[in-house]
This record gives sequence, structure tokens and C-alpha cells, in this order.
Amino acid sequence: METRKTATAGTTTDGQTLTSARREPAVRIEHVSKIYTTQQGEEVVALQDINLTIDRGDFICVVGPSGCGKTTLLNMLAGYEKPSSGWIQANAKQIDGADPQRGVVFQKPTLYPWLTVKGNVEFGMRMQGKSRQERSAIADEFLELVGLADAGGRRPYELSGGMQQRCQIARVLATDPELIMMDEPYGALDALTRENLQNELLRIWRERKKTVFFITHSVDEAVFLGTRVIVMSKHPGTVVMDVPVDVASTLPEDATPEDIRSAPEFVRLCAQITNKIYEQGM
Amino acid sequence: MKTTLSGRLHAHLPKLQVVFSIVLLLFVWWAVTASNIVSALYLPSPAAVWDAFVDANTCHPIAEGSARIVCGSQEYFLWQHLLMSLFRIAVGLVAAVAAGVLIGFVLGMMPIVNRIVSPYINFLRMLPPLGYIGLLIVWFGIGDATKIWLLFLAAFPPITISTVQGIEGVNRDRVNAALSLGASRVQAVLHVVLPSALPSIMNGIRIATGFAWTTVVAAELNNGIPGIGALAYLSGTQLDTPLTIACIIVIGVAAVLLDWLIRAITRLIIPWEGKD
Repeated sequence: METRKTATAGTTTDGQTLTSARREPAVRIEHVSKIYTTQQGEEVVALQDINLTIDRGDFICVVGPSGCGKTTLLNMLAGYEKPSSGWIQANAKQIDGADPQRGVVFQKPTLYPWLTVKGNVEFGMRMQGKSRQERSAIADEFLELVGLADAGGRRPYELSGGMQQRCQIARVLATDPELIMMDEPYGALDALTRENLQNELLRIWRERKKTVFFITHSVDEAVFLGTRVIVMSKHPGTVVMDVPVDVASTLPEDATPEDIRSAPEFVRLCAQITNKIYEQGM
Repeated sequence: MKTTLSGRLHAHLPKLQVVFSIVLLLFVWWAVTASNIVSALYLPSPAAVWDAFVDANTCHPIAEGSARIVCGSQEYFLWQHLLMSLFRIAVGLVAAVAAGVLIGFVLGMMPIVNRIVSPYINFLRMLPPLGYIGLLIVWFGIGDATKIWLLFLAAFPPITISTVQGIEGVNRDRVNAALSLGASRVQAVLHVVLPSALPSIMNGIRIATGFAWTTVVAAELNNGIPGIGALAYLSGTQLDTPLTIACIIVIGVAAVLLDWLIRAITRLIIPWEGKD
């Protein structure tokens, strides 16, 4: 499809850009493996031969049992770790270290307690040398977007878990990344907060048109949020399923999040993906 | 809502308990001395200790009815002795904080250097400072230089080690988050690693201060006038027990206040401690 076309037209074998980066997929993962050596000297294959193309504007959800290498994959996408073999490109450039173009929302909020909520949202812009006024205006905009407009002067530890994750999202959005990676960001939240944040994230993604790489344990969450769900298995970590998801198109224009969650297509996809995970033997 | 007397009493109970405990101690002390079970040489009365404390802080006749006036004890007022000890500890500590944080920072950032150097710092930490004071006297003489070096060497290892631990213990994700937000390596160190390590560093300073205080008092046994430790020691050797006990109480109260001061500073500069 689109992906294959751009891949042949846009890149050479060494991954350099020929045509404009616009037509490139957001991320290309080619034959990536990751092998760790334990303290005892044993080699553990965390990821084996992962091939994945993420298009611009995709909302990729990755599900799979603990230990299937989801977080390892994210760490390599973020630039915190290097693949043992294969290569990863973002924006047609080989990934080499962390980059504000690829923002990360961590499982446990990594907000800085010595800064206010707004100070946290401004952090990236301050590091990049943006002026005080510009920082303040952008931070206000994103605090507003995630519903924290009144919490800017508070400290992160004064916020609830859900609000902390909102703040993390605002902080990442404020540096205007193309790709946002999220590692089970709602895993520790109660069901109601979780649904609220999911609805909100979907709204933000539609408004801001970012590419999202979202790791989760929850099949429901993956099907609700994703445009594509990737199922991984462990020992070694590989991709065993890659399904496009588009529940909304089976429903009327004005479908609410609740409608989506109870649509027959939603239920069918959840069952299909859950079966695939169980087939792997968790 | 009506505040009852018992309700108000209940709210202040912890404070009242402290006051009650002090009153009880003074009473038992007074009762023991008033009943003459123990000779006043071994245990003087609370009043005698109070008089000794006042005398040591004022000018008074050398004996009842004598025309000769002496000021304080051992040629200095007690508060001057205390101040001198505090001055020594301040100089030693400031130097130890500067060196400890700097060296700890370098070691924390360079694990290889840390593995080479840290055994020696640990060894120094294990040594009781008075164990090597003899060597310091050979190097620096019997004056103040030796005592300040001693305090420095006592306070420096715990601060260095806490700094290293603080830096090693920084949450990886916190640093990664900064890098992904566009911070350079240097910025990540200055804006994330250092503030993250601050609680551990302050804890090290607190431990070092307590350690330095016990060390300074002991170090003053040798040529320590003026100095509160020396006064406590000399008054004892001269059988001036009331003054000895007054000094011991002053030393203890000073230790508590020093610790309180460090904790107050900690709360001031890291209000988030224990909350994230």
C-alpha cells in the first residue's frame, strides 16, 4: 500500500533520504533484534527480527504479556538503547540518541518535584532556549488542552495520579514532537480516570495529528485508542499479529466513546486479539 | 464547634509530655541530691549546676567575699567556649561540604574512578577520627589547624558517599525524560541529576554534622581552650562537677539544635523531599 510505495521511492539501502521526508513513514523498524547479556553471562533474546512501519498520524497500540520486549522496543525508538542488529529510522534518519522530535510519556510520571506543574511543562522549551514569554504562552495552551489550566502553580506531588499523567502529556506536547511514545501511561489508574484520560487522549490526537506509539496491557484500551494494534509474544519478543482497527467507521459520525466501546466491531476485535494473546500461552 | 478544655489538652499532649518528662527528671535529680544519698562531688544539685552555668557566663568574685573578680571559666565565658567549638565545626564542615559534594559528584558521574577511589574514602569513614589525630598533630601541630583538619576529615567521607549514592540513585527515566525534552547531557546533569541527588546530599551533611560535633568535643581534650569540650574535660579534672554537668548539657543541647538547624535548611531547600 502507501507504505510500500514510499519505501521503494523514498529511500536507498543505507537509509538516506532521496525525496522529501514528508512522504516517508514516521518510523521504520527493520530486522531489529536486541540481545542482553545477563550478569551470569547468558544471552537473552529480548526482541527478534522486528519489522514495523509506522505511518504519519498512526496510533499504534502494542499489546503483549510482560517480558515480550514492548518497553525495550520503546527504549530503542526513544534512543535510550541501541538495537543489537537491524536499524530504526525516524523521519528517514537513523535514530541516534534521544531527540525532542520523539517525546516519551513514562509509565510512572517523571515530573520534577522541584518545579511547579507549569515549570514542568516549560522544561523542554527552557532547555531549548525559548524566551520566557513564549514558554509561558505555550505552557498555558497545553495545560488548558489537558484540563490543568488551574493547576499550573501547584507542585506535581500535589496532583492525583491521573493529573500527573495529564501533566506529563502536556510537557511532551509542549516541545511539539512528531512521534509520542507512551509506556502503559494509564496502567496504575482507576477504571474511571482511565476512561476519561483515554477519551481525552483520543481528542488530543485528533486535534494535534501526532503519531502515537502506545504500549498497554489492556486489549480494550488498545482497540479503543489505536488505528492499528500490534500483538507481541515473548521468548523471544516477536510481532505475532498486526491488525488495523477502525471501529468508528462502522458507527455514525456522532458516536460517543461509550458507543465505540459497546459496538459489535469493538467487541469482535477485542475477542480476536485476546485469543491471539492466549494462543501464545502467557 | 466548642473547644473543650480536655480537647485542647489533647491537642497539646505531645508537647506537654515533653515538658512533663523534663520536670520529672529535674525532680528526681533534685530529690536524689536533697536526700544526700550521693555526695555532691559526684552529683551536684540542679541549683548548683545552674549557678555554675551562670557563673561561667558572667564576671564574679573568685570566692565568697573575695575582692578578686574572675570572668567566666578558664579565661573565657562559657558561651565563648561554645562559640569557638561551633566556629571550628563550621570551618571544617563548610570545607567538607565543598570538597565532599564536588568529589562525590565526580565519582558519581565516573563509575570507574569511583571504584578505584571509594575504598579509600570508605576506609577513612570507618576510622575513628581520634585514631589519627596523632598523625595530624605531627603534620599540623597542636593548634587549631589540627582540629579543623580533623573535623574536615571526619565530615568529608559521609558527605562524599551520600553524594555518590544520590547521583547513582537518580531515576533513569527522569534523566531520559529530560533528554527527550531536548536537554543536552550537561543540562540534564545540572537540571535533573543534581536536584534529584539533593535529598541524599543533605542527609549526608546531617550525618556528617553529628559526627563532627562528637569529634570536635573529643578533639578539644587536647589543648582545646577555648572550647566547650575542653571546658567540660578540664572542669572535671579540677573536680568542678557542677560546671562539668553544665557543659555536658550545653554540648547536648547544641547538638540537638545543630541537627534541628540542618533539618530546617533541608526543608527550606527541598520542600518536596519524601513527597514524590
